[in-house]
Amino acid sequence: MAAALSSSLTSASSVLFSSSNYPSLPSFSPSQRLCFSHSALSSSYSVSPALFTFPSPRLSATAAVSFSVRAATAAGEKKKVLIVNTNSGGHSIIGFYFAKELLGSGHNVTILTVGEEGSDKMKKPPFNRFSEIVSAGGRTVWGDPPEIGKVLAGETFDVVLDNNGKDLDAVRPVADWAKETGVKQFLFISSAGIYLPTEEPPHVEGDAVKGSAGHVGVEKYMAETFSNWASFRPQYMIGSGNNKDCEEWFFDRIVRNRPVPIPGSGMQLTNISHAKDLSSMLTLAVEKPEAASGNIFNSVSERAVTLDGMAKLCAKAAGLPVEIVHYDPKAIGVDAKKAFPFRNMVQKRSDRATTKPLFLSYEHASEMWIFNVCCCCCCCCCSTSMLSHEQRRKFWDGREPQTCLRI
Amino acid sequence: MARMVSLQQPTTQSHPSFSLLTSSLSDFNGARLQSQLQFKRKLGMQNRGALQVSASSSSKNILIMGGTRFIGIFLSRLLVKEGHQVTLFTRGKAPIAQQLPGESDQDFADFSSKILHLKGDRKDSDFVKTSLAAKGFDVVYDINGREAVEVEPIIEALPNLEQFIYCSSAGVYLKSDLLPHCEVDAVDPKSRHKGKLETESYLESTGVNWTSIRPVYIYGPLNYNPVEEWFFHRLKAGRPIPIPNSGIQMTQLGHVKDLAKAFITVLGNDKASKEVFNISGEKYVTFDGLARACAKAGGFPEPEIIHYNPKEYDFGKKKAFPFRDQHFFASIDKAKHVLGWKPEFDLVEGLTDSYELDFGRGTFRKEADFSTDDIILGKSLVTA
Repeated sequence: MAAALSSSLTSASSVLFSSSNYPSLPSFSPSQRLCFSHSALSSSYSVSPALFTFPSPRLSATAAVSFSVRAATAAGEKKKVLIVNTNSGGHSIIGFYFAKELLGSGHNVTILTVGEEGSDKMKKPPFNRFSEIVSAGGRTVWGDPPEIGKVLAGETFDVVLDNNGKDLDAVRPVADWAKETGVKQFLFISSAGIYLPTEEPPHVEGDAVKGSAGHVGVEKYMAETFSNWASFRPQYMIGSGNNKDCEEWFFDRIVRNRPVPIPGSGMQLTNISHAKDLSSMLTLAVEKPEAASGNIFNSVSERAVTLDGMAKLCAKAAGLPVEIVHYDPKAIGVDAKKAFPFRNMVQKRSDRATTKPLFLSYEHASEMWIFNVCCCCCCCCCSTSMLSHEQRRKFWDGREPQTCLRI
Repeated sequence: MARMVSLQQPTTQSHPSFSLLTSSLSDFNGARLQSQLQFKRKLGMQNRGALQVSASSSSKNILIMGGTRFIGIFLSRLLVKEGHQVTLFTRGKAPIAQQLPGESDQDFADFSSKILHLKGDRKDSDFVKTSLAAKGFDVVYDINGREAVEVEPIIEALPNLEQFIYCSSAGVYLKSDLLPHCEVDAVDPKSRHKGKLETESYLESTGVNWTSIRPVYIYGPLNYNPVEEWFFHRLKAGRPIPIPNSGIQMTQLGHVKDLAKAFITVLGNDKASKEVFNISGEKYVTFDGLARACAKAGGFPEPEIIHYNPKEYDFGKKKAFPFRDQHFFASIDKAKHVLGWKPEFDLVEGLTDSYELDFGRGTFRKEADFSTDDIILGKSLVTA
């Protein structure tokens, strides 16, 4: 069963986890505590279809999904995939990684980003790195979902992923057009934030969701419209190219020797996974459509992490100490949603572009670390062993800071 | 016939009469158990009596170290019902067989006529070695062992032992910001439970076919650890429930009957050979949530919860709260996937079972002690 864990500043938390694909291994020694590169998981680890295939009714499928990684040799048929991607927010990164992974597997990829190519939003990551998609053989277009028929006139696709809409109004035009043009598989990025808080975590697929959640309407509509559909409910994501504050928020403070202010006790549990793992899951759904069909998947890490833990892990990744300061947002008169990156998925960062070069290199180092920590079964992390403190220091000490840092 | 009584009896209470209505124990012994078991059985030699035992099970000569206090009480009944010959190794301080609340007279009669006793002190390793060697057992369940040295004579006495099944503890896991604890996670060689770790390592070193079970917090009727009982005392007294810090610390309770079933599931199971399994409930719960769940279970109104900073108080040697003040929960996915075991009781159901068969009947292990509560409440009244 898959589940995800969300943080909550109130006592009732919504907590979910993904099931683990544990091989039988001896315990690791304490010194290796944060290194999850299991030697038994070779880089060509493939997930059996059994993990996806649970003959359950829709919306109550308890698919056991952990970190599915793409099949070692993509010997299956190549698909023509359309990604309809949001132009801002935490989900932006999903389309970016998914496109690159599909292209790496030899599939044909078009990514339709909402809005206009020339807009200011496109100056931010991951959009400012879309050249990477193009050089990998993908196609990037812009437009609005209601106009999708015009933007992609005459085109047909095997698979469509809607990584944009939060409700049926936004998704219906895409879904209807997909149906008309004979799309066989419709995928949707939903959200783990829609679960109703519970006294007894973890949340599993099928648990009650908020009545106001537009995503539910989308899931129902997909089930009625397509014979092959799947919905993915992610939580928080990290990864280079992230449009939204996540790990960067911690790094910003740690590298400047600033304390990290965390609201509440710091014990709140959250679930943070790497965008690459979500894209692996999506790619597997494309390559094994029968296994994925009719299912909702919580798309999160095997483990939850406390907010304090997140700060400490970022510090470890940076090879620096961290000072954590807890505060009561109400007592101070601060809106925790603005002061802290979790809970609010659309929080924007300002002047990101000026600091990009330094943080890009830094991100790679930390990315490799956190990638290891949070992504236990991902094939890529196994071959990339954890950088030693010395190596990390050299890695980004060697970089010239190209611009002045943000305050 | 002896009736199970709590170790501490409130003097004003008279024994409630035990009705013969179907209890959860009967369910526990019967059909529900069978439907959960999926492990391979050797072709049976005997079909021993019991109601719904699979005809193909082979009867084993089983020794339980302990077995008269909590887990073993339920485990021994399951084993006897399965048709095994079961011996309890105890000092004899408690009766070998006591009728459980809700257990039918017939079930109890059957059990007590079959259960065997080997009286001795397990710390007397010479005695352990000679007495076990003399009897020869197929399987040992070590339910009360704490130190590796206690297990050595057992292994030495039984060179042909088929399986050694050990009750370890999830307390061995190193405290972590990344949760839940999984069987592959780092363990803490300095923990209070290091004896359990050392025992697991020792078992591995001997080459014996061992299985280790790591429960989290165990609960259920006859619990001698004041887990649910601590909440029930306060709920019954209509007192507020003092919970340290935020109350969002997350933990996990596992019902003793589900744990006993897990112990059965690993018996003779190749998939359990030299493996560790976390065994607990399906879901986790915060401290605050647990207080509310206990209230539901006992039919009490929603409790008043008071949070306090434990650092502001000096409780002397007393524990103000029965749980570790930290997140503490483990993943049971391995047991579910590898063994096909899963817990039957959800939290409120399980707490209700505990309440109806134990505390709710007026029985408990420790008298209520609200002294630390009063220290907390006194101060918070003053500073409020």
